Amino acid sequence: MPAEGSSIRVPVEERLFSLVLALLATDSGLTKSEILSTVQGYSQKFSHSGDNSNLERQFERDKDDIRELGVPLETIDSPGQAGNNQNLRYRIPRGAYELPSDITFSPEETTLLNLAAMVWREGSISGESRRAIIKLRSLGVATTEPVLSYAPRVRVRDAAFEPLSAALEKRQVVRFAYLKPGDAEATVRTVAPLALVQHQGRWHLYAEDVDSGTNKTFLLRRIVSQVATLAKTFPAPPADTKDKALLELEDVWNSHTAIVDVQPGTDAATRLRRRRGSSVAAPGSLELHYSDTNIFADELASFGPEAVVVSPPELRDAVRTRLERTAADHG
Amino acid sequence: MAERAKPRQAQDKLAFLLSLVPYLMDHDRVSVSTAAQHFGVPEEQIREAVRLIGVSGIPGETATYQHGDLFDIAWDDFEDNDEIVLTNLVAIDDSPRFSAREAAALIAGLQYLSALPEHADRDAIATLTAKLSRGASAEPSQVAVEASAADETLALARESVTKGLQLSFDYLNSQGQAERRRVDPLRVESVDADWYLRGWDHVREAVRTFRLDRISNPEITTESITHDASDVALPDKLFEGSADDLIVTIDIAASAAPLLADYIPDNAEGIEKDGRLRTTVRVSHYHGLKRLIAGMPGVATVVEPAEARAIVAEWAAAGAARYHA
Repeated sequence: MPAEGSSIRVPVEERLFSLVLALLATDSGLTKSEILSTVQGYSQKFSHSGDNSNLERQFERDKDDIRELGVPLETIDSPGQAGNNQNLRYRIPRGAYELPSDITFSPEETTLLNLAAMVWREGSISGESRRAIIKLRSLGVATTEPVLSYAPRVRVRDAAFEPLSAALEKRQVVRFAYLKPGDAEATVRTVAPLALVQHQGRWHLYAEDVDSGTNKTFLLRRIVSQVATLAKTFPAPPADTKDKALLELEDVWNSHTAIVDVQPGTDAATRLRRRRGSSVAAPGSLELHYSDTNIFADELASFGPEAVVVSPPELRDAVRTRLERTAADHG
Repeated sequence: MAERAKPRQAQDKLAFLLSLVPYLMDHDRVSVSTAAQHFGVPEEQIREAVRLIGVSGIPGETATYQHGDLFDIAWDDFEDNDEIVLTNLVAIDDSPRFSAREAAALIAGLQYLSALPEHADRDAIATLTAKLSRGASAEPSQVAVEASAADETLALARESVTKGLQLSFDYLNSQGQAERRRVDPLRVESVDADWYLRGWDHVREAVRTFRLDRISNPEITTESITHDASDVALPDKLFEGSADDLIVTIDIAASAAPLLADYIPDNAEGIEKDGRLRTTVRVSHYHGLKRLIAGMPGVATVVEPAEARAIVAEWAAAGAARYHA
């Protein structure tokens, strides 16, 4: 029996591991006081007579950390004592914890999943994909070497990405300042974040505007304030929300058409011809799709004299204004 | 952030312990080096985890962690032969499920890579996605990445390596000069929607990086490949600095600086004033710079050298002039 107030220091991972083992091994669940007084890592600090509030707070944080790993730590009422918080019992139901035994991955599938995990090399999502791969390796499947080596990468450099993805997970309403191009000032938006999707290399937030109740898409790079996470929560959106968000962006992309003349043999001619959805409208003239006039105007302006917008007029004006601005800024 | 770093590490270690146990259960006897290789971790990390597992368990009937309530390993095999044999098991039977975010990270990654020639079978991706969703402890998070566009160059690059024959293509460099290049493909890389081929360039006799959308008329040649990925050390960074690089001072909106992170040297000094950052970028020639700066109107401005300013001004003015014609 560990001595009360013993000074033996138990590493955090040992305490967490012991907690998971103890809760997996119980069907009827353990009460908080049973956990704190017996489980390795807590029991050493448990006081049978005194105040255990520090230890209780520790336990609350540990529960969060464990749940974040996808471990279904649940609470149940003690028999005959429903509603009595002190007698809540904690357990990890085996069926919800274990990967269903009929889920297996072939070596080829494992290789694809390793590649998919490599895509994330920044932010908390890189940690999540790394952990997913550790769990995958738990199954003991060897991988096959791909013929050609790959180093794919999706960036998550927008400062708003992390707070939004955390809020998305906890289904909490957020508030931020959003600067629409052409507006002089940013406006404050209060929204329920429903999905984060990357389209044409840019991250978008698909969210429900709390005031109007309508769904809108926000470009992360136009969020100009910190993202404040509010206490208010909202119900889980349907499972296909992210697909819907991508589809809406795709519809916008398809509905915007520009005619751009390109000088033959130039970088503009090669790259714009290779752009997704591009087609030849006439010799030296391309029909192109785009999502956003301002973003596409930036892209076209980089080609300088190699590309000229024929239509639509607002895109033509936007590119011309940009080129004039750059010329003036460097004059 | 520092406060958060610690639990993250502990979480990673916990995920590792929960994953290692079922792996060891499936292997009656496994060497530390085999396990380390399988998980892609240092051997010492395996030993550390095994030592912890060997003394861990459940409180049990007596709530005092009696011997039978603990994992046990064949300690002699472990200490003397660096081999792991679990001799007593508790609590854990199987691998853990993925968390909602873990599953979502892999699903979004798969989606993004769906244009790779390895993914020719679309049904395979759908099957994998379904397995990941079912293998997660909650509905995967709502994070998605648009599928990359299929590209014939990727398929040819793979074929080139499979057949051991060089790939040739027309390539327009950013100075606007077109030439036929002959390449041994080494690695396909991407950053968001942009894709690159890195290969041994037989004309330059060096490793070069090619933007896929600047490649045209690719074909497999009859000449054999002389370099492969195993004998060429590829730097991790897509854009490697070289001693010949030109250093340019720019002013950039601080919020937009991450967009140029690849061009800003690690040791660059930055002075921020009124939301604008004055820093340096490294470019191989001003013709690349003028495209970069013209694509960030009002956001980034070249300060010096004067020659660079003039080239950017000329480029933008020539572009604007086409609208006045």
